[in-house]
Amino acid sequence: MTTLLLDASVLLAAFDSEDDQHEQARALLEDDEVTLATLDLARYEVANVAVRAWRAPDSVAPLLATVERLEEDGGVIPSTRPLLSLAAELAEAHRISVYDAAYVAVVAERAHRLVSCDRRDLVSRDLAVLPAQAH
Amino acid sequence: MPKVMVSMPDELLAEVDAEVRRLGSTRSAVMRDFADAALRRRREGRAVAIGALLGEAGAHGGRAAELVKATRPEP
Repeated sequence: MTTLLLDASVLLAAFDSEDDQHEQARALLEDDEVTLATLDLARYEVANVAVRAWRAPDSVAPLLATVERLEEDGGVIPSTRPLLSLAAELAEAHRISVYDAAYVAVVAERAHRLVSCDRRDLVSRDLAVLPAQAH
Repeated sequence: MPKVMVSMPDELLAEVDAEVRRLGSTRSAVMRDFADAALRRRREGRAVAIGALLGEAGAHGGRAAELVKATRPEP
């Protein structure tokens, strides 16, 4: 069974009923037939969006608790120096940010499958799939 | 199916072998089942726990992927 690596956008979409990927992201997080993981970067990203964009600091706790639950499943992968070195190469190769490339680097290192709501930079380049396509 | 070598304490191996005898099975099959069951329990625990956390979802305007990028630190 391939572990699914969720980026921060999937976690955020699951907690936002107005996101067009909300239902699919939520279903994925509640699916007990798949192993789910994320990157440690996701902690900063979800907290940042909750505070700065949503203006909903109360959402930080459940979002971070969700990340911790993933730690107990497929894991929260640390952004190590080798991983970020690979991310830098991938960012240059795909013309994407090092942030996005860090998730892609995990896929390259561990044969995980990346799931993201980022159509523009990840899904359109076949670097990730949308939550609905992850099963 | 790949073959792997596993080290374990004598006491744990004795318990595995007792299970092998009880089921009339093999070490490989029993350890496969144990691993599968442990991972399944882990997934089920995560799904239930996150399901409860999702009760705190709200309406935030959508565009999650855009917001992640918009709130990242500027170079």
